[in-house]
Amino acid sequence: MAKKEDLLQGTLDMLVLRVLSRGELHGWGITLKLEQLSKSALQVDEGSLYPALYRMEEKGWIEAEWRTTENNRRAKYYSLTRAGRKQLEVATESWDRMSAIIALVMQSA
Amino acid sequence: MNPLHRFVRPLRALFGKGKLERDMAEEMRFHLEQRAAERAADGLSPEEARHAAERRFGNLASLQEQARADRGWRWLENLLLDLRLGVRSLAKSPGFTFIAILTLGLGIGANTSMFSLVNGIMLKPLPYADADRLQHVYRVTAQQPEGGHSPADFLDLRKAREPYGDFAVFASDRVSLSDPGKPAELAFAGRSSANLFALLGVVPQLGRNFLPDEDSPGRSQVVILSQRTWRNRYAAAPDIIGRRLRIDGEWHEVVGVLPASFNDWRHLGNVDFFRPFTFTPEFSRDRKATNLQLFGRPAPGVTPAAAAAFVAGFGERLVRAHPAEHAGSSWRAVSMQATAAGDSGGIILPLLIGLSGFVLLIACSNLANLLLARTMTRAREFAVRAAIGATRLQLLRPLLVEAGLLSLAGGALAVLVAYGFRNWAALRSTGDNGEFVWFEVDWSVMGWAFGASLFTAAAFGLAPALFALRLNLNDTLKSGARGSTGGRGQQRFRQLLIVGQFALSMVLLTAAALFIRGLHDLHHRRAGWQSARLVTGGVALPSGTYGDAEKVHAFQRLAVERLASLPGVETVALGRATPFFHWTDVRKFHVAGRTRPAPGQEPAAMVNSISPDFLAAFEMRLIAGRAFGEGDRATAPRVYLIGQATARAWFGAEDPVGRRLAQIAEGREIFTGEIVGVVADFQSVDPDPNPVVHHVYQPLAQEATRGFEIAVRAAPGIAPSTLVSAIRDTFAALDPDLPVRRLQPADRNIDRALYQLGVLRDMLGAFGGLGLALASLGIYGVIARTTAQRSGEFAIRLALGAGRRDITRLVFGPGLRQALAGALLGLIGSYGATQAIASAFPGIHTNNPAVLAVTTLILVIVALLACWLPARRAGRIDAIAALRAE
Repeated sequence: MAKKEDLLQGTLDMLVLRVLSRGELHGWGITLKLEQLSKSALQVDEGSLYPALYRMEEKGWIEAEWRTTENNRRAKYYSLTRAGRKQLEVATESWDRMSAIIALVMQSA
Repeated sequence: MNPLHRFVRPLRALFGKGKLERDMAEEMRFHLEQRAAERAADGLSPEEARHAAERRFGNLASLQEQARADRGWRWLENLLLDLRLGVRSLAKSPGFTFIAILTLGLGIGANTSMFSLVNGIMLKPLPYADADRLQHVYRVTAQQPEGGHSPADFLDLRKAREPYGDFAVFASDRVSLSDPGKPAELAFAGRSSANLFALLGVVPQLGRNFLPDEDSPGRSQVVILSQRTWRNRYAAAPDIIGRRLRIDGEWHEVVGVLPASFNDWRHLGNVDFFRPFTFTPEFSRDRKATNLQLFGRPAPGVTPAAAAAFVAGFGERLVRAHPAEHAGSSWRAVSMQATAAGDSGGIILPLLIGLSGFVLLIACSNLANLLLARTMTRAREFAVRAAIGATRLQLLRPLLVEAGLLSLAGGALAVLVAYGFRNWAALRSTGDNGEFVWFEVDWSVMGWAFGASLFTAAAFGLAPALFALRLNLNDTLKSGARGSTGGRGQQRFRQLLIVGQFALSMVLLTAAALFIRGLHDLHHRRAGWQSARLVTGGVALPSGTYGDAEKVHAFQRLAVERLASLPGVETVALGRATPFFHWTDVRKFHVAGRTRPAPGQEPAAMVNSISPDFLAAFEMRLIAGRAFGEGDRATAPRVYLIGQATARAWFGAEDPVGRRLAQIAEGREIFTGEIVGVVADFQSVDPDPNPVVHHVYQPLAQEATRGFEIAVRAAPGIAPSTLVSAIRDTFAALDPDLPVRRLQPADRNIDRALYQLGVLRDMLGAFGGLGLALASLGIYGVIARTTAQRSGEFAIRLALGAGRRDITRLVFGPGLRQALAGALLGLIGSYGATQAIASAFPGIHTNNPAVLAVTTLILVIVALLACWLPARRAGRIDAIAALRAE
């Protein structure tokens, strides 16, 4: 197993939004997806994930619906709202800017 | 998410917690299961897989807690929790809670009641359209700062009114009202110019307004009834319009009924019905009358100042045009609303608010003290909470919530007190027409009660809050289980509160005592007359039936004759006024044979027209000469009696008997008469600002007086009240159309006249009593609690050989010192309060050192008692038991 990286402060929301932008998922699904997309380099802490989900639901970025999974289990599916989509754009843009600046500094110093 | 949803969701998070919680739990369980399944796929046993998943997940409960904090209205949830805790902690000490709420309820209640009074009298607008624009115009003379006007002046003003707006006049009178088949009743009637209601902006509820020309001759036999008269006398008959009734013997047609809102006792609401004036040529020429009240409504765009300037300018023009009538007078326009409070209202209402504020302050400082003591006993709890990291806000919140809860409950009780006050005031203020005076408990009163609650919560919640914030953690925790009495600062603060309370209650008590004493003296003043065996009542002969003077005199002679022959009657007298109250008939005189003073500068005196037995009936003393006799008739030479002070002022050392007095009217001597006697001075029960009042008496038989008082004196041993029905029957037999007003024992009439002052007296008395009770409760509570907390110290002192007396003194001394210091401070304050009362009621003597001394003594005795009870207990503690309890 590759070494796990801690998530950079404040990026979890953005990552979750990004994952959800491809389609609705339940909490467990989000964990899996994040691990899969990061090639298991990221390990999402449930203690952070669920409060983040509730917070974003509160802000109106995502909405939830109870549905049954393919194995016939009840699960809560999250999907992006229009506000969430907009937030994702904003967050992505500022992330791009920030990472470019950091890269610039790190290379020139 | 739409905004509504956004708002509803946290509420659901708060109240529908169950479902959300279940959702959350199920979601996380699903996650856990999936994780466990994953681990099991890695080859762990199901048991191990579940444990691994749970380890990974962390503390489920705290996770849920955090999630909940993120979504709900955390603060609201906490508030509910705090409220629940607050209620529980208050319920745990019911004695404290009861006293606190009672104290607050009475304190806020007294204050709120006074506010409802001010609201009802001063703040509420009069029931007219744009009432704040309306003006009342006075004619100011040296004798009459708020004088009325004459018809001729009004008509002149109306012609010149253009730049101002419009004016209307009104005058009131007592008349007899009779319907076919019903006994006559005395009514309080108004006459007005036809435009009065249009000017006030009042539209009759039934029928119509006066027509513009209905104040001209031949058209004015119409009447508009007040709502009250329509309901009480005509049972709200819907067909009242067009009905005819007799007023002073003349037929009038009902054309309208005023709306209920017009019944405002502060202004014209006490008038039973209105008729138009009749502007006959003769009436319109009258420039001497001063009985018309003049109201004005400035046109839109005319500022009140410009309107007042116009009125003043018109007054000046009148002085130039008609110097004989108007020399020395001026005109003044004031806002009608400002006239609603009456003369003394301007001083007395703020005074009442202020004094009731003192009661509230005492209640507040009492509670501050109680809460402080309560907080101190919980010092350890606070210290522990602070030590484990409670923030300042978290420390204070229970204290603030407790204060808030108490003051809210107090505020609710206060509203009840205000309702009680309203009912009491209504009962006490039954007017002449049987109508109650209501001080509505409306929204502004509720608002005041709520505001006062907030204020008190802030005031008394502050002390314990400061205490909790300044708590020295180390010392408190180290002091162990021993109760704390607080540091030096707290001690001093609490002593200061006690001193303040006693100062305030001293002010209340002395103000109340001085006023009660002064009013009592006034009320029972029988200076120069007696009323014990008298029945009095008022009669007004309608000018329609009793047109010429001879008819009036004949009626009066016959009435005296018939009344005197009733069994049990000793003396019968008639007079324009009784000596009980102010005389209002002011006339000017000139001593014949002396140089005439300038017009308007002649000496004035209060005049009474009396029947021969008047002095005997009231037991007034004749000092020189003779009283009036049967011979002093209309045809006989004019005669006068004068008062002692008048004799001194006008004749000095000379003998006035035999001198001649000329009566001046309209700037001319109208007739002269001989002074035949001197009557001892007397004082009425009305508070009178003038120390010297000049009196002149003339025979009733020499001037036709249609409005007069009857006085029937019962023979010794006969109760005056038993004569009332016989007197009424006698008048009914003389003239069935003639009502007798307020026919009852004279003392009851006197009581009735002073009822307003009596209401004030009772209120001040209540404030004084309440203040004293609260202050003594306060000092008792503080000393008792301190004593309980220091029981360990006292036990040690006893064990070391101190006497029980020493312990008692230890407790007693400081308490008494504080009470005395407060009382001394309060004496200074009460000087100010009595000055205010004295300026509102110049006739009431508030300068009474004996009362002041007694009041101080009472306060000190109460303080002694409140300190001594707990102090005695301190001296009696069982040293061994107390030490063992440590």
